[in-house]
Amino acid sequence: MSAASSDGRAVSSRSAPGIAAGMSVRCDGIGFSYAEAHTPIPALRSVTFELAAGRSLALLGPSGSGKSTLLQVIKGLDTPEAGTVALDGLRPDAPGYDAARREVGLVFQTPELQLFATSAREDVAFGPRRLGRPEEEVQAAVEEAMELVGLPPEVFGGRHPYALSGGEQRRLALAGVLAMRPRLLLLDEPFVSLDPATRRELVRILVRLRSGGVTLVLATHDVDLAWALCDDLLVLDGGRVVASGPWDAGEAGRALRAAGRLREPFLVELWRRLGRDAAAAPPRTAAEAAEALR
Amino acid sequence: MKPLHDSTTPPGTPDDEGATGPRTAGAASGAASSAGAAAPVIDVRGLRFRYPGAETDALGGLDLSVESAEFVAVVGANGSGKSTLARLLGGLETPAGAMRAVACGHDLLTDDGRMAARREVGVLFQNPENQLVAECVEDDVAFGLENLAWAPERMRARVDEMLARFGLTGLRDREPHLLSGGQKQRTALAGVLAVPRRVLVLDEPTAMLDPAGRGEVLEAVAALRRDGLAVVFVTQEMDEVVGADRVVALERGAVVYAGDVPGLFEDVGLVRRLGLGLPAAGELALELAALGRPLEPLPLTLDALVAALGASG
Repeated sequence: MSAASSDGRAVSSRSAPGIAAGMSVRCDGIGFSYAEAHTPIPALRSVTFELAAGRSLALLGPSGSGKSTLLQVIKGLDTPEAGTVALDGLRPDAPGYDAARREVGLVFQTPELQLFATSAREDVAFGPRRLGRPEEEVQAAVEEAMELVGLPPEVFGGRHPYALSGGEQRRLALAGVLAMRPRLLLLDEPFVSLDPATRRELVRILVRLRSGGVTLVLATHDVDLAWALCDDLLVLDGGRVVASGPWDAGEAGRALRAAGRLREPFLVELWRRLGRDAAAAPPRTAAEAAEALR
Repeated sequence: MKPLHDSTTPPGTPDDEGATGPRTAGAASGAASSAGAAAPVIDVRGLRFRYPGAETDALGGLDLSVESAEFVAVVGANGSGKSTLARLLGGLETPAGAMRAVACGHDLLTDDGRMAARREVGVLFQNPENQLVAECVEDDVAFGLENLAWAPERMRARVDEMLARFGLTGLRDREPHLLSGGQKQRTALAGVLAVPRRVLVLDEPTAMLDPAGRGEVLEAVAALRRDGLAVVFVTQEMDEVVGADRVVALERGAVVYAGDVPGLFEDVGLVRRLGLGLPAAGELALELAALGRPLEPLPLTLDALVAALGASG
């Protein structure tokens, strides 16, 4: 994958408050197994792909295909048995690799379950403090991160995390990761259990991060939101890569159907049903689709 | 919800179930209730509930009535009280109060009533991981029956029936953690329904599943409608609301809409106020209408959208 945008959308490197410029990631031959009753169960088999700085990647695959494991390996929480994860062009033995790894943010599935502090502000401050940043810098990062996720610190900062709604808790947990100013943000099923309005709000936040230049990896079953957000596609099935590269609707559609447990984005299917797919790439959003159909 | 084309679904109707026969038309349950022939299986007026330490009610005077064989979708923003309602209907929480709170003829305001309601109202939750307790699929399906001390022979027959019904026969010896998400949720569903039920309450049963797993669960639930089981289906997925007989929308613990599905989605102001959305086809139709190309009636599925675009284009 190259930084040149295949679908005509500019890859911006413009910086925005609280948003760091993205880093590239490259996985080469990643293998990983879970030890289960003395029999290793392979979760990733020779996974290879490259994501350029500032691009957004949809990580799709059936349940159990290795999506969460791959995110953990990229973050460095799991050490691969084979292969390497290069960050910013640095291999794991390069000086500066550990620093790069600290700029990888991982938002776990249902991250609100890990909120623990007695105020929203303290919860968001935990990550940057643990990185040893000076307190003024921590407070600035907390304010920017809370603004970014739509929880202004002057309103929400003093509230107890458990007194927030489910959608607010999800956004607070995201702010906790953003306060560490990640240049590569990994999200594991961020839309699960959110109501439609909160999902739309989260999409707006991710669009803002993307246009700020952060590299995004989005593991999700929600193929419609992935299609709206992501430049590139990586499809896993049984721990193997079955499709990878810029998300070209035609080729990717074949891969998604081949994986068996996946479907194509609604707008891609609509375009095919209307016989418009040969003439033009399917739209990414309902608004784009309406413009084309008016 | 996909319509069912499968004509081979086993009968599987619980032997001591209150309702009988397939539901054939929207008028059937309405006619029954207007004639007074059958009381609603869920009959709740002014239901209130507050979590310990909370400053406001999670449910503040909620009304809900569900007939036998009715499929009612429940929608609402995060925190609107959907899951609380699901737990209360299943007799799993004690109401703070109500003018009336009856499930399958049992008074949810009394301890005995809640215990009895738990037998007849099955509840399936979002995360199948938390609901599977046994070492293998068939033991999990049998779990509820063992607690009710069913005779071994009768239990064996019932478990076989449920395994067949939910497509799990070939997986009966499988350890639950080796199942796919959809298989886990179907196992949990088979376990809930092994105990004969009159009402099934599902709380976002597809949220954690991949598209195929989601389809498996939706088809299994759709098949239940023909058996006369009343289904209360809590969801955040607007596409899953489309096939319901009726939809109930909650806001801050109270019902603000109860009626047919198109009626909710056509009231776009209400949909937005409630933090909901339209099915993907409906969202696109709204964008088109804003650009001067309205589609009537509002399409809610891909098929309806393609047809409407063909007809008007």
